[in-house]
Amino acid sequence: MHQIEIKSANAFYEKLHVLKNIDLNVDKGEIVSLIGPSGSGKSSLLKMLVGLLIPKSGKIFLNKTLINFHNQSDLRNIREQIAIVFQQYNLFQNMNVLKNVCIAPTKIQKRNPKEVNEQALYLLEKVGLQDKLKSYPDELSGGQQQRVAIARALCLNPQILLLDEITSALDPELVKEVLDTIRLLASEGMTMLIVSHEMNFVKEVSSRVVFMDDGSIIEINSPKNIFEKPSEKRTLDFVGKILKEK
Amino acid sequence: MGYTLVYTQVLEFLPYLIKGAWISLQIAILAFFGGMFFGLILATIRTFGNKVSNKIVICYVTFFTNTPQLVQIYFLFFALPEFGILLSPYIAVLLGMTLNAAAYLCEIQRAGFLSIRQNELDAAKTLNFSLVQQVKYVILPHIMRVLFPPLSNHYIIMTLGTSMAAIFGVEELTGRAFNINSETFRSVEIFSLTALIYIVITFIATFLLAVIGRYFFKAKIRIIQ
Ligand SMILES: Nc1ncnc2c1ncn2[C@@H]1O[C@H](COP(=O)(O)OP(=O)(O)OP(=O)(O)O)[C@@H](O)[C@H]1O
Ligand SMILES: [Mg+2]
Repeated sequence: MHQIEIKSANAFYEKLHVLKNIDLNVDKGEIVSLIGPSGSGKSSLLKMLVGLLIPKSGKIFLNKTLINFHNQSDLRNIREQIAIVFQQYNLFQNMNVLKNVCIAPTKIQKRNPKEVNEQALYLLEKVGLQDKLKSYPDELSGGQQQRVAIARALCLNPQILLLDEITSALDPELVKEVLDTIRLLASEGMTMLIVSHEMNFVKEVSSRVVFMDDGSIIEINSPKNIFEKPSEKRTLDFVGKILKEK
Repeated sequence: MGYTLVYTQVLEFLPYLIKGAWISLQIAILAFFGGMFFGLILATIRTFGNKVSNKIVICYVTFFTNTPQLVQIYFLFFALPEFGILLSPYIAVLLGMTLNAAAYLCEIQRAGFLSIRQNELDAAKTLNFSLVQQVKYVILPHIMRVLFPPLSNHYIIMTLGTSMAAIFGVEELTGRAFNINSETFRSVEIFSLTALIYIVITFIATFLLAVIGRYFFKAKIRIIQ
């Protein structure tokens, strides 16, 4: 079953046509990676899925239901199911690590605070931050903030997780940890859309890879094919450049 | 120097001076909160308003931050009666200080608005915070943290500024010091004692503000500058 269906979606920032005729289906439990040059619209695509960027045309279905992005209750509904880890982490600067993770589950989802606290501690330990519970974001490194953001997203128990560049600020050892976590979640049926520049990571976790350039999806292929025999020339150029940099 | 300091005579007036300090405090607090309120309206217009309303606010702020406060109060006190509006010295000073404070506090509060981080609001939205929850959990704590130090500073400046009221005959701390001076001529003792009372008032205020700021808003405030 397609959990997310995007049909010829177009989106704009003022005059900038940032997403052009996007067509993409994501099945339940799938891990789809988005790759592409800087500025190609990867983050924008994720933002559109959580209603921070409103599509101007096209249709988006979530679990077969058409989303009306101008309807508050539809927006609330998609945000209940989809959690996002932003490229810039977007932590609340005035809250400590634990509060950042717990606030939405307790105040918005109205879950039992004790149970939320336990889950938060478990998640924060899993991402190696058990010693930083009372620290504020500006006291943490980029990689640490990123892990808080991951824990915050997971503590919402979303059906769908959007991860924007989550490996960019992490050490290699942590990348492995995060990767394991992601695989585990996927095996439990969580659907994921991941933006990453880390090609090994993409190769290892993805069920499919989407290559974007200049606001359009150029190619959707298996990870093996996209790196070894892509069907589009632009993909080949991009992949070639990235692999050469390694 | 033939002058010997004698405080005994002046100390008799201490309760009288302290009551004056209480009036100074009243003027400072009323003008500060009046200025906060009016300044908030101006800052809101300045942030969200159209071109014309923006220009009006800019003119207001420019006028009040580029002319001496004393002149502004003089205007209210001496010029307004020409138009049939008669103000008591106390009200003229209070009004003048409020209007002046509004200009400064508008700018300070506007800086607070501008410092709200879109990133955090995006996160709050995707976490399904309502508008009220965004204000309560993200915007206000952040704004207060940013604004608390400059607001505290301005409050202290205003406390000292209340001494201008003496010129118009308001019997606040400095006004009462003038009164005693013309009776006893013990100027050095009187004004050193008056200065000491101002120091005590501002020190207590700074201390309380720092404690409140640190405790409630995690604002970084030093007690001694
Ligand atoms: N809030 C915004 N307002 C206006 N333009 C924006 C905004 N956010 C992004 N853009 C523009 O939209 C285009 C796509 O940006 P986006 O962030 O989606 O790219 P990206 O593929 O995620 O790039 P990167 O790999 O550098 O993160 C860029 O040209 C960018 O300048
Ligand atoms: Mg991006």
